[in-house]
Amino acid sequence: MHNQGGQYGSYQQRYSGSQSQTIKNPSTQVSKGTEMSDRDRLNDILSTEKYLTSSFNTFVLETSNKNLFNDVLHILNETHHAARDVFNLMFEKGWYTLKQEQPQQIAKEYQKFSGYESQFVGHNHNQHQNQFSTGQDYYPRDY
Amino acid sequence: MYQNQPSRGQRMTQPPRMLSTKDCAYLTDALSWELLAAKKAHTFAMQCSDVQVKNQLEQIGQLHQTHYDILLNHLNSGKSDQQYYGNQYNQ
Repeated sequence: MHNQGGQYGSYQQRYSGSQSQTIKNPSTQVSKGTEMSDRDRLNDILSTEKYLTSSFNTFVLETSNKNLFNDVLHILNETHHAARDVFNLMFEKGWYTLKQEQPQQIAKEYQKFSGYESQFVGHNHNQHQNQFSTGQDYYPRDY
Repeated sequence: MYQNQPSRGQRMTQPPRMLSTKDCAYLTDALSWELLAAKKAHTFAMQCSDVQVKNQLEQIGQLHQTHYDILLNHLNSGKSDQQYYGNQYNQ
């Protein structure tokens, strides 16, 4: 669906303030006048897709008929991919800036939430060997 | 008035093939969302100068038009119980 090739140019990575790394492409210039720019239009469509995904999520939860359920779930999924394509294009154009979290901060949270594993029923200390082995009952399927 | 009660001793495991009043209300709402989204994407695409942005918007406009047709099909009596997408999750 999204085939813009792999030319993302060189990532602009610089340090700002503390040690947080900024990840972004060089910005594609758009006019800053009062009229809507291409960037504004893409942003507006992204808002539309976000609105549609929430609305279709509510819809799919309330469908009765199973065929309607399957179609609406599929539409929800495709709408998510449309939003993702728009996001990717905006990132490629340099209109989205990400800040990388500090590795120490991530490690700290990992420690904290690993500790909470003990709160699960049937918790065992070999959790890491089979942590993703359950859940098959809820794989996407046709009803 | 429609009556679709199972005979004594039988139980429905799923709703039968029909549209509930709520299904119908959501379908008409969703059709309006899709129509607006398709129109907006096509209008924006025509106004764009950047080719990549233009193509992306056209593709999205097309997607919403497809979704509109799928939803509309559920309101078409006789066909309203047909599913557009295949049972891809069973493969």
